[in-house]
Amino acid sequence: MAEAAVRYLRDGRLEGEHAPALSVSGSLQCCPLAARAMLHVTAALASQAASGKSQARGLVIVAFDRSPEVYLDFMRRRGLDPNTFNRCVRILDCYSDPIGWKQKIQSQQHQESSVEPCSMDKENVTIFRSVKDVDKLMCSIIDLGRGFEGEGKIYFTIAIESISSMLKHASVSSISGLLSNLRSHDQTSSIFWLIHSDLHEPKFSRAFECLSTMVASVEPAVVDSVYEEEIPGNMSFLEKNYSNAKFYVRLKRRNGRVKHLYEELCVEGNDVKFISSPSVSAEVNQNLLPKVGLYISSSI
Amino acid sequence: MAAAGASGGQTIGRSSFSRVAVSTAASSSTSAGVKLGPNGATFVSSGIPDLDRILGGGFLLGSVVMVMEDSDAPHHLLLLRSFMAQGVVHKQPLLFAGPMKEPRLFLGTLPAPVASSKEDGRQRVMGAGTSSDGRTSDEALRIAWQYKKYFGEDKTSHAEHKDNKQEFSNDFDLRKPLERHLLSSQNIECISTQDGDTLGELQDRCSTFLSKHLRKDGGNLIAGRIAIQSLCAPQCGYFEKDWDMVSFIRSLKAMVRSSNAVAVITFPNAILSSSFCKRWQHLADTLLSIKAIPDEDKDLAKLLTGYQDMVGFLHVHKVAQTNSQVPVILEASTFSLKLRKRRSLVLERLNQAPVDGSAGPSHAASASCSSSSQGSQLDF
Repeated sequence: MAEAAVRYLRDGRLEGEHAPALSVSGSLQCCPLAARAMLHVTAALASQAASGKSQARGLVIVAFDRSPEVYLDFMRRRGLDPNTFNRCVRILDCYSDPIGWKQKIQSQQHQESSVEPCSMDKENVTIFRSVKDVDKLMCSIIDLGRGFEGEGKIYFTIAIESISSMLKHASVSSISGLLSNLRSHDQTSSIFWLIHSDLHEPKFSRAFECLSTMVASVEPAVVDSVYEEEIPGNMSFLEKNYSNAKFYVRLKRRNGRVKHLYEELCVEGNDVKFISSPSVSAEVNQNLLPKVGLYISSSI
Repeated sequence: MAAAGASGGQTIGRSSFSRVAVSTAASSSTSAGVKLGPNGATFVSSGIPDLDRILGGGFLLGSVVMVMEDSDAPHHLLLLRSFMAQGVVHKQPLLFAGPMKEPRLFLGTLPAPVASSKEDGRQRVMGAGTSSDGRTSDEALRIAWQYKKYFGEDKTSHAEHKDNKQEFSNDFDLRKPLERHLLSSQNIECISTQDGDTLGELQDRCSTFLSKHLRKDGGNLIAGRIAIQSLCAPQCGYFEKDWDMVSFIRSLKAMVRSSNAVAVITFPNAILSSSFCKRWQHLADTLLSIKAIPDEDKDLAKLLTGYQDMVGFLHVHKVAQTNSQVPVILEASTFSLKLRKRRSLVLERLNQAPVDGSAGPSHAASASCSSSSQGSQLDF
């Protein structure tokens, strides 16, 4: 359940443990829906931080896939006013100019840096121009996190969108190192990221799942059983898969047991809804059950 | 003639052959924590008495033990911690390598040995005979298919064996950390595998560790322990160098074989490509794997007794054997991990309820088939 995932991240880390980490993974067939689910979780955590219900004082968004205005827009429509947004959210903008080319071009042409593309107030948006340098990225994230106001120990949550875009610029081991260092940093309350699992070798996707304590996978609602993918040209499939998806959550509990949860994800306009569907959870259990009956009959 | 067969306590049968009891008394040339076994084998304890028993004595000196991790459950850390804590308690040299910035901090999580008490002794004798909440009256009706629970555990006088066992292996209290003064010893070394692009440094450290502490000349037999956590973790710089990792394991195996040491390596096998995973599995002398257990699963709860207390499964794929052509074949290879009184780790055989209660003779088959079917379905 998405609410369970948000609560788990909101509660943050315990003393002496690493911060909890959620990995949202989606396949290409439903990647806009996975991104929407990610946005939903981001907005939920921002509002939790704003209302003081979470361990974290603020949220740092490392945005590779979207421009910062998208976040402001989404959260404003969710009811988070801009002032609270500025207080509780900091965005590290790796989308506008990730490797510093725009800056180079502008300085080469000796143009005055005219009005920046994003004309919104930039006090909580920091443009990051060297995404290939993972150490520098980590320092920037931590600096932003330390900038939140408050008394006592300040915790912050980190959202990374998305790991797939980061992998264009840096290696798997450096990004895994970044994630594990962020998790073990003592001011991180929780961390979550989006990854498009189809775009990478299976072992790399599994590596990132390994680093997380909760895995949420978004799968297409309707899959053709014969071809195992959408029949091209069949509009009804496309339509269904663009607005509905299955949301599986695997939560790794502290005692080593794994909790499986399932919901259906519906996108209507700007809203993302999660509908719990208990009937399908039996399906999950079926796969885990050892098929004892089969063996006994064959051994007699 | 019939009664003479039971001298070793190992066979309940009626043969005239008697198994020579393995001497567990420490001889003058061995130190605490090392046990001699048949075929010139020397064992050190894994830190988990149940696992020592399952493996036929413990971890063989000169072998490489590999543990396949499950990304969903951290139980490989329990095995590693028990192994390391046992070495510290016996003052054996220890080298720890882990994919974190500060591997020394991991030493702070090692458990302390349990202060032995009579109650523990009694618990051990009862073993898995009673279910955790003692509902023996319910169990009485279904005892027929659970008969294996009542045999097989040490039936010989437990008191005398307990003292010897305490010397060789300890029960660890996972809630209590090991005393600090034990950890500041000179012969505990740590190295981080997260820094650096190659395994060369780790290989050099292992070779200096082995040559410094452990020589096979005369004198006391000091056993050493090497513990490597998550050798192919994604945050290590050499993560994508598959062949380098395989040649590191091969050279470590050679180094360990010619010294008095045991190496325990855990690795998340899901991260390796399947062909390399096969190579790693083949390189291991003893191969174990951990499997996570789903929570609040009603169907599993019906099928497995004691499901509520289980935290995971341990599967034994391969057991090291030395100086012998006879392979070790275990009666059961899947065990459930439980935390007794939430503090010490026990391994129990799985007791799986029969699907069809009326099938009589197939229960024996089902008890062993269940472990293999568990294996195949749960992807061991």
